Amino acid sequence: MGKHRTWIQIAILLVLVIVGAFAVGGSFASRSPLPVVGDKAPDFTLTDLDGQTHQLSEYRGKPVVINFWGTFCPPCRDEMPAIQAQYDKWRQQGFTVLAVNLGENKVTVDSFVKQLKLTFPVLLDPDMDLSRKYGVKLYPTTYFVDKSGKIEAKQEGQMEQDFIERNIMKLLE
Amino acid sequence: MIHNTKCECGHQNHVGTVLCESCGKPLTDEAGNEPLEMRYDGVARRSQRAKRTPLDRVWNFFSSVKIAVYLIIFTLLASAIGTIFPQEDTFINLDPATFYKDTYGWSGELYYLLGLSHTFDSWWFRMLLFMIGTSLVICSLDRVLPLYRALSKQQLRKHPSFILRQKVAFEGDLPQSGVNESTKDWDDRFADALRKKHYRVYREDGALLAEKNRFSRWGPYINHIGLIIFLLAALSRGIPGWHMNQYMEFLEGSPKAISGTNYYLLNNQFTVDFYNPDEMSEGFRQRDVAVPKVYKTDAILYECTADCRVADKQPVLRELTHQQIEVNKPLKYKDLQVFQFDYSETPELLAIKPMLTDHSTGQSYGPIDLQMDNPLPSYQAGPFTLTLKSFFPEFGLDDKGLPMTKSNKPLAPAFVFSLTGPGLPAAGSPYMYFPRQIDKVNFRQDDINGALGSRFDLSVGSMDDVKIAQYTSYLNIRVEKAMPYIWFGAAVSMIGLIMGFYWQHRRIWLRIDGARLMLGAHTNKNWFGIRKEVADALGKTGIDVDPKSLEKGRNRE
Repeated sequence: MGKHRTWIQIAILLVLVIVGAFAVGGSFASRSPLPVVGDKAPDFTLTDLDGQTHQLSEYRGKPVVINFWGTFCPPCRDEMPAIQAQYDKWRQQGFTVLAVNLGENKVTVDSFVKQLKLTFPVLLDPDMDLSRKYGVKLYPTTYFVDKSGKIEAKQEGQMEQDFIERNIMKLLE
Repeated sequence: MIHNTKCECGHQNHVGTVLCESCGKPLTDEAGNEPLEMRYDGVARRSQRAKRTPLDRVWNFFSSVKIAVYLIIFTLLASAIGTIFPQEDTFINLDPATFYKDTYGWSGELYYLLGLSHTFDSWWFRMLLFMIGTSLVICSLDRVLPLYRALSKQQLRKHPSFILRQKVAFEGDLPQSGVNESTKDWDDRFADALRKKHYRVYREDGALLAEKNRFSRWGPYINHIGLIIFLLAALSRGIPGWHMNQYMEFLEGSPKAISGTNYYLLNNQFTVDFYNPDEMSEGFRQRDVAVPKVYKTDAILYECTADCRVADKQPVLRELTHQQIEVNKPLKYKDLQVFQFDYSETPELLAIKPMLTDHSTGQSYGPIDLQMDNPLPSYQAGPFTLTLKSFFPEFGLDDKGLPMTKSNKPLAPAFVFSLTGPGLPAAGSPYMYFPRQIDKVNFRQDDINGALGSRFDLSVGSMDDVKIAQYTSYLNIRVEKAMPYIWFGAAVSMIGLIMGFYWQHRRIWLRIDGARLMLGAHTNKNWFGIRKEVADALGKTGIDVDPKSLEKGRNRE
């Protein structure tokens, strides 16, 4: 009888501990859903202009720059040649750029990309789900993701060549 | 702590028992005269044990009502503090690190640094709630099981000191009214009198127990079960997909994906009705503003079955429901609720169906269906192919004089086609098209197109071929899967409260030793009622007593 009761007691406490772990643990999970510097970059899968799918986690082991941009945003347009130049310079070292467009039509994006002769993958995010997930507020916003998939730096606003290069070199170290 | 728990009636009681579980004799305070403490019928709580293991210590901690009261006080204080400044989650796009300092000064910064700006999501607040829940479970189990045991096997013949030390007690001789009346007859009449008052009467030779409304004793525990269900339901909002609360804008006429779900919602038509000036009060009329009387969204909810959220592909949608959304009258579909929140007037072009006219032959081809949110790579108009080279939703020129779009909204759309067909070079001739007349003039479409512009013309015959969105409706999208459980928990808790509030567990013990009568009565509240019932029953059987004189303490008044 006594042993039996102890087991019931242990079972009740165990259930309570599990519920409690869920309750208290949930508070850590729900905190700060937007990624910040030092966090792991949230994974995503998007298609580029050629219909190829790109998944961020496939680039694990390589440094990646994620650039959120739109053809309607002049600073985004202006920094594109700088990004292209850096892409050309470092791509042999495994570095890549994923330029995530802010919900525009494929035709609109495509004509701009052809006009500027951009060669890095330009990804379409039709409902802007990804930019919402990353909490992009200002355009352009750029994330520098290191080889382990961690966000090393975040830049809001237009970037210059040497700024991009400095950050890429940090990623390649 | 070592204490002989065996009662003189021979019953072996648990450690911590106050009144013998069998005969009711007081075990700890045998000589006293004060009314007995009847809480839990004097049985030992589950947690009162002779030997204590670490498990018992945890159990004891949570079984303490004192601890529960402290937990509730701490939770109340934390909840109150959490409302001093708005919580972080009440803002969209907010940087809390600077917001609290800038808005509320040093106290705001302190509030943020202490983590109070997200009190209700914090681990310690949830910990408090969890501990209250644990305390509810353990407190209840600790008391309800021994109490159930005690109440389900009550001994009828109680110890004289148990009976006479009840708060309502009577001791006297049996009435000698009739010559041929035996004690058993008095007993019967007394039992009948109590039965008329809806008592359940149990009898044994020379002893009687009358009891009613025992179920009200379970009221607090049913209330606790309700509260536990409530807490678990509140907790279940953390399960992914169980809780959602977001605001989205829906332009008339174009279905939009509801993020985080597989649903699409179409604002089919938005209507707004304003008050006439003569319907308004004087104060409003003077302000000279348009006051909406009613605004509603004619909404269709879809489910995406294929090609969902894929760039460059239109999703395959299946209609689920078609409802009118008005303020406080949401669209409802399963767990999804969509509330009208706001609107704004945002005229923009959605689609246009122009005809291609070749002036060299005088023939018209088409129409071609140009959709602003989904321009296709090419269109066919009779023998002519229009390949879309570029599309600018809001056409403009950048500082270098190059064409660009100023936004992603079709406010001044421009299409750049490459035209191929009879009489045109195989490589294609560029042809630019501005659907809006004003843009066509301002950006001088005819000059850009040159000779090609004088041969071809893209234009619509009537307004039927133009689809314009007048309004954007702002909707609040909510999912609250836990709601039925919250209501259920609240209802159970209310039932428990009502059981305890409106009924009282009343018991009357009677013991006859020869011609000597001893009576004790107990209730948890409404002593007036039980006094009256006892005095009435005694009165009907020939013993006249003043109800007030039955109650201890009142005698001394």
